[in-house]
Amino acid sequence: MRRILIIAIPVITLVLFVLIMHSGNFLKRPMGKDDDIPGTIDGIIEAVRNDSWDEADSRLQGLESAWKKVLFRVQFGSERDEINQLTKNIARLKGAVTAKDKSGALMELNEAYMHWDELGN
Amino acid sequence: MNEGLVVVVRAIISFFTLLIFAKILGKEQISQLTFFDYILGITIGSIASEATVDLSSRAWPHFVGLLSWAVLAYLMQYISLKWRYAAKIIEGEPVIVIMNGKIMDNILRQMKFRASDILELLRNQGIFDMNEVDYAILEPNGSLSVLKKPEYLPLTRKDMNIKAKPTGISTELVYDGKLIEQNLQQMNKDKRWLMNQLKKYGIKDVSEAFLVTLNDAGSLYVDKYNDEIKKVKDIGDYKGPY
Repeated sequence: MRRILIIAIPVITLVLFVLIMHSGNFLKRPMGKDDDIPGTIDGIIEAVRNDSWDEADSRLQGLESAWKKVLFRVQFGSERDEINQLTKNIARLKGAVTAKDKSGALMELNEAYMHWDELGN
Repeated sequence: MNEGLVVVVRAIISFFTLLIFAKILGKEQISQLTFFDYILGITIGSIASEATVDLSSRAWPHFVGLLSWAVLAYLMQYISLKWRYAAKIIEGEPVIVIMNGKIMDNILRQMKFRASDILELLRNQGIFDMNEVDYAILEPNGSLSVLKKPEYLPLTRKDMNIKAKPTGISTELVYDGKLIEQNLQQMNKDKRWLMNQLKKYGIKDVSEAFLVTLNDAGSLYVDKYNDEIKKVKDIGDYKGPY
């Protein structure tokens, strides 16, 4: 029994570590109604295209709160630069939506999408 | 991103990964390390430290790097264990640097050793006169093994034809006030015998003893918690720190 434990404990520990290091990729997937980042980005893109700035603004608030939730989950298996870039995109998007700058907002949204794809990969 | 928390989690991962890999890689003592083993240790340690604090990349690539180095080190160990010729190349082999009292200066040059280095290594062994040395061998880990000339070797009981009893190794019977029954049985003794012996040292209960050992020759070593030493000798060269 002891022999099995001596082998099993390090193996289980290493497997657990590998899972934590890869956690970013599966923990970024939506787990509830209000943490669907790609869905929210799609919604904002649609609103910006239709010049519905009020809707874009309300969806942006949803994106901010969703990102806060997801960030805590993905931080252990993602690189800091991707996280920081996505945070910056959201901040700049806020400015673009306030200024009703369609091209700026679309640029930020598409870049945010790219960083989201890279997160945890 | 809570960087402090991420660093703590990564530190736990690196620490235990390093511990597991080090255990798998073997039980070599620091003094047995070759130059390559030394560099290997530094590199693996450096990867582990980067995995902990370099948050600009994920922990996974660092972990893969750590795993790759550990696997390569293990492979090298395995090859040198199974293939003597490879071991000679990978780990090096002992080289005679002093033979019949004469310094092999060509070999010293090849090994990039100066005569002063050899003299230093000899002094570390307590040899200050080159005339005492018959053979000196430079080991792969950089230490020097010395065989003195017969006239400088210490006199032994065998030389004097004096019979000596083997003392054997000591076995712990009491450790930190606790009786180790398994060792007592192994030495073919029982608790009554032990208590009778301890009474001679003024010990009434096992918990009063810090360490009790017994060797194969029957010699008992007893250390009590109460050492009855009123003033402990201070060998420091300054007062303090308190």
